[in-house]
Order: sequence, then C-alpha cells, then structure tokens
Amino acid sequence: MADHEKFPLVDATEPNLIEDTFDYDLPPLIKFDGPLVEYIDGKPIEFSAADFLARDFFVTDTTFRDGQQARPPYTVDQMVHIYDLLSKLSGPNGVVRQTEFFLYTKNDRDTLDRCRELGHAFPECTGWIRAVKGDFRLVKEAGLKETGMLTSSSDYHIFQKQKFKSRKECMDSYCEVVDAAFEAGVRPRCHLEDITRADIRGFVLPFVERLMRMSEQVPEELSAKVRLCDTMGFGLSYPGTELPRSIPKLIYLLNKEIGVPSSRLEWHGHNDFHKVHVNTMTAWLYGCDAANATLFGYGERTGNPPLESAIMEYIALRGDLCGIRTEVITELAEYMQSIGFPIPENYPFVGRHFNTTRAGIHAGGLRQDERIYNIFDTTKVLNRPPRVALTDKTGADGVALWVNEFFGLKGDDRISKIKCHKVARWVMDQYEKEGRMTSISDQELEEKVKELMPDYWDKYCNA
Amino acid sequence: MASVEERVIQVTARVLELDPAQIELHHVFTTDLGAESVQSVELVAMFEEEFGIEMDEDEALSVTNVGDAVAYITKVCEEQGAET
Repeated sequence: MADHEKFPLVDATEPNLIEDTFDYDLPPLIKFDGPLVEYIDGKPIEFSAADFLARDFFVTDTTFRDGQQARPPYTVDQMVHIYDLLSKLSGPNGVVRQTEFFLYTKNDRDTLDRCRELGHAFPECTGWIRAVKGDFRLVKEAGLKETGMLTSSSDYHIFQKQKFKSRKECMDSYCEVVDAAFEAGVRPRCHLEDITRADIRGFVLPFVERLMRMSEQVPEELSAKVRLCDTMGFGLSYPGTELPRSIPKLIYLLNKEIGVPSSRLEWHGHNDFHKVHVNTMTAWLYGCDAANATLFGYGERTGNPPLESAIMEYIALRGDLCGIRTEVITELAEYMQSIGFPIPENYPFVGRHFNTTRAGIHAGGLRQDERIYNIFDTTKVLNRPPRVALTDKTGADGVALWVNEFFGLKGDDRISKIKCHKVARWVMDQYEKEGRMTSISDQELEEKVKELMPDYWDKYCNA
Repeated sequence: MASVEERVIQVTARVLELDPAQIELHHVFTTDLGAESVQSVELVAMFEEEFGIEMDEDEALSVTNVGDAVAYITKVCEEQGAET
C-alpha cells in the first residue's frame, strides 16, 4: 500500500455494520457530532444538540382538527377509537402529549366527553376556537384547561381576510381575546397563522412580546403558548435563508430574543412543498418543544406533518422506545383504511408496499440477511415483515422469500430456492408465455404453493 | 446405466430445451447454453431429482460449466451414497 494515500483502505475481513447507529431493533439513530450554526443579524449563533436532547420535546396531535378539516367528519365512535389508539401509541410518558378538538357541534362535544371518559392521561384533550371572546364559554363549559385560538399573523390574513384597518387594531383585538381566556381561567395557545409570510419584526415579535408581558400577570399554568403555523408550507429548514421563511431564525427570535420558553413553542406545518416532516423536526431542533402532527399526515390540502414519522424521529433521537407502542401505528393504519381513509401503497411505515421489494437482486439480498434491504426490524417495530412482490423481475430468490415468509420459516428452517423452483417457473411463465402485465397477488401465489409444493403445504399448513 | 456425464447432459438438454449432442463439458451454463436465473435453479433441482441427492444451494449454484457439474455431482453422490 502506498504511504502517500490520503484515504488508505482500512482492510477488514469482518463487516462493520455500524450497529451503534443502525440498531436493527429501532429506527436508525440520529446522532450529532457538533453544534448547528445559524447567522442571525450577521452573528454566528450556535445551537447545541446536547441542549436540544436535554429538552422535554414531544408530539401534539391535530388529527381531529386540521386532519378532519380535509375530509368528511368522523363519527363519534370513530374518533373515540382513534383517540384510544393514539393513547396506546403514546405510552405512559406522553410522547403524544396533547390533541385538539373542535367544540362547535354537539358531536364535537360528545366526542370530547367520551374521549375523556376513557381516563387516559395522554394525549391531553385541548380545544380549538376562533379568536372570539364568546367562544370561551364553550371552552369553559367543556372544562378544558387549554385551547388554541386563531391569531393570524401575516398581512394576507390581517388585512385581506380579516379586514382589520391596521395591525394595531388587529393586535388589540387578539389581546382582548387572550385577556378573556385568562379571565376564564383557560390557557390560550395563540396560533400565529401564516407566520412564514408575516412581517416578523413589524408584527410577530411585537405581538408575542405583548403576549409575554400579559402572561407575566397570570399564573404560569395559564401563560400563553405560541403555535407557529406554517399555513402554506413556505417554511425553510436550511441555514442562511431569510425571514420570514427561515425556521431557525423564527424560532431563535421568539425563544431567545423575546424569551418564549421552548415548552410554550409549537410548530404546525403543511406539506405544500414536500418539506413538512423535515421542517417540523427542524423546529424541534431549534427550540420548539411541541411538534404538531396528524395521523398519516392527513390535513388541509397537502396535509400536515405525519404523526407516525414524528414518532419514528423521536425514537431515533432518544435511542429508545420511551414507552411508545410502535406496533399501534400499524393498527391505526388498518383502522383508518377500514373506515375509508386512503393510504398510498408506497407511503412510509404503513403503506401496503412500504417494505416490499420487487427486484430479484434485492430479494436475493433480503433472503441472505433482511437488514440489507429492510430499513429496520419492521416485524418487531411495526408488526410488518418485509415482503416481496412477485413480477418478472423477482426471480427464484423472491419466490423463496415469499414462500418462507408465508410458512413463517426462519434461519436453518428456511426452504431453499431450489425447492421452490416449480413456483418460480410458474411465475416466469406468467410473464414470458402468458404475457401478463400485472404483479402476482398473494392469493394466487398461495394457491400455487399449495398445488406445486404439496409436501411443504401439508407440513406447515395442515400440521 | 448411463454415466454421470451422460445423465447430466440429458438433464441439461431437457431443462434448457437443447439438443444433447450440442452440449460439451466445457460449456458454461449461462453464457454458452443460455441458462437464465430461474433455469439455473431448475437445473439444480432436476439434478437432485435425477441422482436422488440433496445439494448445498450455494455450492451447486456456484458451479459454472457442465464438466464441473459432473465432478460436483459425482462427489455429492459419493458422500450421500447415491448410485451413479
């Protein structure tokens, strides 16, 4: 070996599978090896990953509010069942900390009552109302401790939608409602709609500064929370981008310049530019403790941050399940599909084919060691074993993988692809001789295994 | 009884739909005789059936030409006491 090479080969006869990060039992861990740096007002500001991990960050849910705005209403029974499953998923540590409910119809209120009757500690039920003083009656009657309220922050909303004559008139109006919340003994969570299109220094910072001053006059448990709503999905995670789109700068200004504690900051994203998950995780990282999300990302237009992805990120950051019952994600997906909620087949973690491989060469890899082409132990984490879909590209490896999975065989018990050759031939003939253009269903293959591998069928299915 | 070599050539010809007279010991199953992926697996399966033996999948599939197949099958038959 030449001694002048900048990167000499580190020869090995045993693989280095980097299992400290790719612990197959969990989603791959997220590790930091230095601070994040963002230039704000020309000065480099360091954000410490250690400080981030020391915070009590968590997920909040808006499946019943934003998630429901984009679809026909759920029935009361459906919402109660989903809430029950959310609680199971969340676990005893309250990783899914809160969920919010409309309060306007009898159905809304019945749902809230029935969810609370279940007696779950998490997710805590909160409300959602317009910024109208009279609406606090609904919150009080429902006995809720906290409610979200619209305090839209961009001039698109202030002037074009709400028709205020000035920003001052708008801010005064919002603050009147916040005062009404305090008087009612309800904690206000101010939803700064359209913040990524707002005048941050001209309206957002003055408004939040005023909220902070008002909050000093009430007990801590009533102090106003701030939800940063990226209503149109304009937020950007990259360092070096300008306000109002820069998520790091937005959060820094509110958190460090205005002094809103992380525990009172929440990010609510939308997916109009395919950035929703990363933006939400960026908000966690830079100082929002609460990441607002919906199940399977369902929400207005392109949707919200997928709650299940936030859960996976949480585990990857913590390096532990933290009491989360990840297999409930699969249960939730099955339930949602049973009530007519579409989930694309390639949708991460829950789509029918999220861990299905079609290429024969990938199936060969899976057969040798499923870690090669499976993101983590999806059987253990999600109760979803890796699959192969059978096409002309699948080959004997894919057929053998399917057969072994079907019979539930592992390790030395697995049937070799040689023993599966008749089924593999049938698959190939479907395409080469029959001119088939579609993949082969599980039901078809099951029939063929029964017909062409009768000894194994008798051994494993009739035993 | 036919020799191992003759039987290997007969099986190969049947699976790959070739004239046995055209198959020679130096022929590589894939490049010379046109065996595709599934056909390679079928060849191994048919050799097992013909000789009444069980072959190690990885070893069997790593055999590339007809002559090596004859040698490998002869060895396995001896190990497993199968008649050749």
